[in-house]
Amino acid sequence: MHIGAVDESATLGRSWIHTASPITKLVAFALVLAAAVVSWNLLVLAGLLILLVSVATTARLKPGLAYSLAAYPALFAGVFAFASAPNVLTGLIIVMKAAVAGLAAVTLILTTPYPQVFAPVQRIVPGIVGDALLMTYRSTFLLLDKFSNLLTAIRLRSGLRGGHPLRSARATSQALGGLLLYSFDLSQRDYDIMRLRGYQDRLKTSLPRGATPARDAFLLAAALLALATSIVWRLGAAVLNPYSWLVLLLPLAALIAAALTSRRAL
Amino acid sequence: MSHIHIPDGVLPLWLWGLGWLVTLVLVGAAGKLAERHDMRRKVPLLGVTAALMLVAMSSEIIPIAYHVNLTVVAGILLGPVLSIVAAFIVELILALLGHGGVTVIGLNTLIVAAEMIIGWTLFRTFVALLSRKRAGVAAGMSTVITLAITTTALVGIVWLGGSAATARETGALDPADLSFTNPFTEGVFSVGLFSGGEADAPSAPADSTQSAASESNSLSVKRFAAVVYTLGPLGWLFEALITAAIVRYVTRVRPTLIFSGALAEKERRIPGDEAGGL
Repeated sequence: MHIGAVDESATLGRSWIHTASPITKLVAFALVLAAAVVSWNLLVLAGLLILLVSVATTARLKPGLAYSLAAYPALFAGVFAFASAPNVLTGLIIVMKAAVAGLAAVTLILTTPYPQVFAPVQRIVPGIVGDALLMTYRSTFLLLDKFSNLLTAIRLRSGLRGGHPLRSARATSQALGGLLLYSFDLSQRDYDIMRLRGYQDRLKTSLPRGATPARDAFLLAAALLALATSIVWRLGAAVLNPYSWLVLLLPLAALIAAALTSRRAL
Repeated sequence: MSHIHIPDGVLPLWLWGLGWLVTLVLVGAAGKLAERHDMRRKVPLLGVTAALMLVAMSSEIIPIAYHVNLTVVAGILLGPVLSIVAAFIVELILALLGHGGVTVIGLNTLIVAAEMIIGWTLFRTFVALLSRKRAGVAAGMSTVITLAITTTALVGIVWLGGSAATARETGALDPADLSFTNPFTEGVFSVGLFSGGEADAPSAPADSTQSAASESNSLSVKRFAAVVYTLGPLGWLFEALITAAIVRYVTRVRPTLIFSGALAEKERRIPGDEAGGL
């Protein structure tokens, strides 16, 4: 998991989608997700995927990071499809749904700092849940760093060797045990800091407005169009299925435009 | 088998919607219960435990599509109420990182929370039966039994969703000859945007050809169960060995954490070489 790189992309990015309103991005994400849920048409799903690739390209997301993260759910969906899909086409659709939903989620999290993503959730769940959500994200960085250091220390002391799997497993388990103890000391330190800073059972987060309302409106319109297309092709499948290839035209045009724009920006 | 690695839109609305509803009620109730006492201490504890699970889940064993979860360890440390909250937090963050669907966050939370609570209960029972000296064995046994139970719950969910996630229009592409034609031209459609049960529609004529087509298009729960129960035990065993080793290690260094839970420790600890000279 590349949480450090995810946070860097979300915080330091300056593209049009980075500066869009977090609420707009969350709504657009929900609409695209609904489109993926509704559709059982391979070409409509392919269109959604191409559209998301265009957005990722214009947002100048690191392709290695974005697509490897999005491929992760697709990999597991592939296992599920292999185990349960009745035919290859249905299996492909299951994988495609996972890829679309995964890339939508990844685009959101790579362009929006985590406090802004969690802020709406924090407002509807009990205080302890919302606050713990923020603490979890922060602690994950610290623990990943510590775990990486522990593994390096073990490797340097020859605890991890290809020829000694049992010894390596034992060393890794002890590293995880050490990490567990470290994490509890970390929670005690956090508790002390929160008490000193006068924590009153609520960590407050704010939601900034979008830099350009027109871009927010464009993002919402594109997501709405995606959902509408998905619904129309689902409702009128009997008539529209032979013309499904038409759905690909607009996303392909968007992809070409995105590629040209990003090349010019370089 | 902590997560349902089923993509968004495969399970029917009633199933994942019900999962979300039950989860929100449980998380709300658990949150209110947890807020009653010593909340300032619970927030960072929940944060680091959930983060620990996330770190463990970042190590994946590709050939068997399995990753360590540490759900039983986290359950032992947090107890049942905080486990529900931690499970929800972990699943929400994982879904946002593309690891697991957003619509199945509810069902995922229920499965992970069940894993943590069953693990906690079994561990306490086994420790009472075997003695504290065998905490590692107790943790390993608890993990295997817990994962077997939750894997069965996962198969049950696929079985519940299987009949609804059947025989939908799969688009213009015909899998038989890869031609762009409508594969369902016999009038089997009825509109069901989220239910997806076109072939199961009551208005559709229920002749034998159609029911055969419906059967051939439905998710194969038997095949899914066969794959899960074949690969799963490898993962259960691996998770049990890791869990047992961690619990044995922590029991030697700081037994209160394991036997009384993370909130039982009141004395201050000075951070040092927690890895025990690794």
